[in-house]
Amino acid sequence: MGLEQLLPAISGMTWQHLVMIGVGLILIYLAIAKKYEPTLLLPMGFGAILVNIPLSSAITQIDPATGKAVEGVLNIFFDAGIATEIFPLLIFIAIGAMIDFSPLFRNPSLLLFGAAAQFGIFLTMVLAALLGYDIREAASIGIIGAADGPTSIVVASRFAPNLLGPISVAAYSYMALVPIIQPPVIRMLTTKKERLIRMTGNNNKKISKKALIAFPIVITIAAGIIAPSSLALIGFLMFGNLIRECGVLNKLSMSAQNELSSLVTILLGITIASTMTAERFIRVDTLIIIALGLFAFVFDTFGGVIFAKFLNIFRKEGNKINPMVGACGISAFPMSARVIHQMGQKEDPYNYLLMPAISANVGGQIGSVVAGGIILTLVPLLA
Amino acid sequence: MTLTIQTALFIALVGILGIFIFMFIFYLLIKGLDKWFPYEEEKPEQDLILDEVED
Repeated sequence: MGLEQLLPAISGMTWQHLVMIGVGLILIYLAIAKKYEPTLLLPMGFGAILVNIPLSSAITQIDPATGKAVEGVLNIFFDAGIATEIFPLLIFIAIGAMIDFSPLFRNPSLLLFGAAAQFGIFLTMVLAALLGYDIREAASIGIIGAADGPTSIVVASRFAPNLLGPISVAAYSYMALVPIIQPPVIRMLTTKKERLIRMTGNNNKKISKKALIAFPIVITIAAGIIAPSSLALIGFLMFGNLIRECGVLNKLSMSAQNELSSLVTILLGITIASTMTAERFIRVDTLIIIALGLFAFVFDTFGGVIFAKFLNIFRKEGNKINPMVGACGISAFPMSARVIHQMGQKEDPYNYLLMPAISANVGGQIGSVVAGGIILTLVPLLA
Repeated sequence: MTLTIQTALFIALVGILGIFIFMFIFYLLIKGLDKWFPYEEEKPEQDLILDEVED
């Protein structure tokens, strides 16, 4: 009996499998050494190794003796948790429980940046269509620009499950790379004078508890009336927030923020990896999707900054918006706000942009979910 | 121009407009909530208990 019969995985190993194992190791390295979204990239990296060892029982295999499919645990998780959208929606409850919407009540006008900084999603969708992707795939690629992992997963699992692996990797990797992607784009679009603008606002204004409790309920009803298809996304986010703000479910709120979030994140990451098999991942498409994801993030930043500059045309001197804050309209929270605050401090150590930046960033969290809901509504109608 | 590109452009246009409309409605709702439920200094719990005892 030869070694190949004793260790059939060796005879089944191809260079594509080795490349994918390398990709898994790179993701684990980025998670541990660079701390790039470790909660997701580490399970995804390990999962990529797990599914790319030939004959792995973690994924569905055909039994050579019977010719029947033997279901792997990751495929079962995928069918139960991602194809049904349960995992990403549970994550939304956890995210909702983590978000404090009071910065939006202090600077409500900055909510609009949450809309402007979704520009990259739609531009990327058009570019993907120009490159030959069908509209469902193009929308799934564009949603990488939401800078919101769960929204990307919901849209991609519904419209392009074949592209879920590269879309998830791109979405989570670029979210971690916001401090590298945003600053050069912002510097290119703004003058030093603009970056020095100081913003005064109602940063210390106290917000009524009743308003914070009513907010998730009112938003859910409004979103449901306007676009019922977006309700699963927005509703779960707002449900998590209501648990946080109601004041009588502190134990549940803490559970959602910690145990629920941790458990589902582990399952989500490793389950997405079930789509990262060599035959699905090693394709030109993957490289194109990763490049388009970067394009989406760059043009999100562009949209936010240019919208701020546009608003400044109509605002009086002394009441202008620092255009860098516009870039915080993406959903990567609180990383984007922190990056902009640091950029502001670099230009002028006495310029504190953190509060307005956080307000815009919270707006981005709502904006990305709304963008996902709009795409989920429009694409089936027109495709 | 293929049908896919036309559809993508249409979705992009409607999507961008839609998202601004959504966010503007949310903006108005926040303004409304802030007006309907203005912040009031909450009474410390100790005072509430004393009030009940006096009653």
